[in-house]
Amino acid sequence: MFSEQAAPTAQGLLAPPAGEPPTFPRVAVGGYSDCSQPFQLGERSFSRQYAHIYAVRLAGMRPRLERRARGRWGDDIALRRLSELQEGEKCCVVGTLFKAMQLQPSILQEISEEHNLVPQPPLPKYIQPCDELMLEDELQRIKLEGAIDVQRLVTGTIVAVLGCEQDDGRFLVEDHCFADVPPPLPWSGPSSDRFVLLASGLGLGSVSGEALLSTQLLVDVVTGQLGAEGEQSCAAHITRVILAGNLLSQNTQSRDTINKAKYLTKKTQAASVEAVKMLDEILLQLCTSVPVDVMPGEFDPTNYTLPQQPLHRCMLPLASAYATLRLVTNPYQASLDGVRFLGTSGQNISDIFKYSSMDDYLEILEWTLLAGHISPTAPDTLGCYPFYKSDPFILTECPHVYFCGNAPRFQSKLLQGKEGQRVLLVTVPDFSATQTACLVNLRDLSCQPITFSSFGADSED
Amino acid sequence: CHKVAVVREDKLEAMKSKLSTVASVHVYSIQKALLKDSSPLYNTDYDIVKANLQHCSKFSAIHCAAAVPRTPPDAPRAPPPAPSPPRQRDPDGAVNGHGPRAAKPPPQQHKGIMGMFAAKAAAKAQDTAKEAKAEAKEAPGVSAASSKPPTKNSIMNNFFGKAAMNKLKANSVPEQPKEEKEVVKPSVAVAEPESSPNTVTEKPGKKTESVRIQQKDKKSKTKRADRSDDEEERDPDNVKKKRKRIKQLVSDSSDEEDVPPSPTPEEERAPSPPPEPALKTELEPASPEVSAGGRKRKRRRVLKSKMFIDEEEGCMGKTG
Repeated sequence: MFSEQAAPTAQGLLAPPAGEPPTFPRVAVGGYSDCSQPFQLGERSFSRQYAHIYAVRLAGMRPRLERRARGRWGDDIALRRLSELQEGEKCCVVGTLFKAMQLQPSILQEISEEHNLVPQPPLPKYIQPCDELMLEDELQRIKLEGAIDVQRLVTGTIVAVLGCEQDDGRFLVEDHCFADVPPPLPWSGPSSDRFVLLASGLGLGSVSGEALLSTQLLVDVVTGQLGAEGEQSCAAHITRVILAGNLLSQNTQSRDTINKAKYLTKKTQAASVEAVKMLDEILLQLCTSVPVDVMPGEFDPTNYTLPQQPLHRCMLPLASAYATLRLVTNPYQASLDGVRFLGTSGQNISDIFKYSSMDDYLEILEWTLLAGHISPTAPDTLGCYPFYKSDPFILTECPHVYFCGNAPRFQSKLLQGKEGQRVLLVTVPDFSATQTACLVNLRDLSCQPITFSSFGADSED
Repeated sequence: CHKVAVVREDKLEAMKSKLSTVASVHVYSIQKALLKDSSPLYNTDYDIVKANLQHCSKFSAIHCAAAVPRTPPDAPRAPPPAPSPPRQRDPDGAVNGHGPRAAKPPPQQHKGIMGMFAAKAAAKAQDTAKEAKAEAKEAPGVSAASSKPPTKNSIMNNFFGKAAMNKLKANSVPEQPKEEKEVVKPSVAVAEPESSPNTVTEKPGKKTESVRIQQKDKKSKTKRADRSDDEEERDPDNVKKKRKRIKQLVSDSSDEEDVPPSPTPEEERAPSPPPEPALKTELEPASPEVSAGGRKRKRRRVLKSKMFIDEEEGCMGKTG
């Protein structure tokens, strides 16, 4: 992509300059529209129970699942509620999955005095062979067994199961299905090469400064200050930069101030203050040259529950003077040049990773698309706002680019759906660890990683 | 996979042989002594960038027409002018910086404020024109936040600008001896968001550019009017009320900043009678009026303490 176009002028800057250097106008954004209104919360009220979100989720996804069930198992299949089940009758039930896990951190157990438990240290995975799967609908729940992979599935998924009720009260599953890829959006992408740079996990404010030069190189490439003329003209085709979360590093989250006495911590500054200043400068450099969308992540100064609200403008005084800076919500959805982007900063995927046997971030990303829901584990194990009117995480339309940030490595896949959907799945790697960002070409939905490296004290390549 | 790497000279050929196509090669840095690792590269780059934060894209080959600073927050209150998307304005092969733009119809702004500020700006422009250093190109970063020390910046209606400016205050003093070529951002630029373009056309081309930029800002700002903040301590209801407040805040800022009396005489110097003489009389006495007075006082205090927090570096306990 980049390389072939730029190669002819590769050596251009090794010779004395010849006359007026060319300038390249940044390719204008064809059409941008922000579609993340469902994720923007206005007035927030936490007085509701979380049961409502499950109720609206089930109600919202039930029609689609019933259609899928009929399509898969025949039109004459009996669709029953759990309360209408009869023993031995083969039928199909649509409901929410609940996985009972022993190792799942439970705050009630922790604070309960009779158990005298020490709080459990965070584990990479909380799955165990003895986990059990249950299906819940509006009124009842039933234990599932049979042809269903208990380890793989997570709580909160809406599923349709085909089977029959046993005499011991369990449901023997013969087959199950999910909502599948949502209906496709019409394709109206650009006809020429337009790139979007996806990066996440800049990790500013960390103790080690190794990734800082790479971050600066990234900014320089995008603003066209690095590379010979061919490379610069390619960089001018980058129409947008999306920073998918974790702009600040985990080190800025130090909570010592909570434990120490006030007189010790009165004059200390939070570590995030310096980091945000650094972020402001980096964003300013980017904003003077390219539109930037900034999504908050797990360690960024915004709310913890999903959907995370945009970072506040006052924290970025220099950069927010520019109209090219857009501060957006955590699940972020937008239409760039006719191409629909949908992505998160990775909390949903890493949460599913913890509670499922799936190991591959790309696989989990694909699975969420097939399950029709961005983050099924919210609110069970992932903090979530108590929605009650509708669940905004249900996937109603199939995006063209579906990404998640802060993945351990870069992966991408072009998924073809049955109804003609074409989705590019991208796991954006953590930049502070991998120094890799992704370039998505909007014309043909291809993706290329771009790595930055510098030389270290030890002379390895 | 596209790789961007900074390599030492002796490793260059080895690296090139590992790449399938070499898209570009150029010198990144030269030093007197062999570097152990790349941290000096970053540190030097960081220092230079920090010193030139507002012109960071000046020497870049890529010019983004959309990257214009927003006007200070009172602009979105103006009725939206004829929408012409700023993106269509390609530089047409102009070198970095802004070529002269075609004249545009003046947007409909609050005539009262315009009158006041236009005259003020005209007066100020005379001063700053003499002082402005010979930097032909105006960087795209003409924003309120970027304005030079507050000597002329009484019209700081940008709260963020204020906060950032106080930080810049500390930086700018050591910067001045370093940077001779530093463009003294004419504070005209700050005043100009409010100035009507009528007066602008008489000014030299540089100022014209900045006004165009500001006008573009207005347009892009009004497009993003939905994003204009609620956190701003302004009520977006009554137009007349807004004007009052802006005026009072102007006098606030002129009081609060350690500014030589230049702002106030300039305000008084405004010759053209504004259509609302009431506004003018409000300016001169800094004393607040009855109804908005209490609120104004409170807001002033909040403003002060906000600045306080910035200067005091992290006294989180201090509240306004």
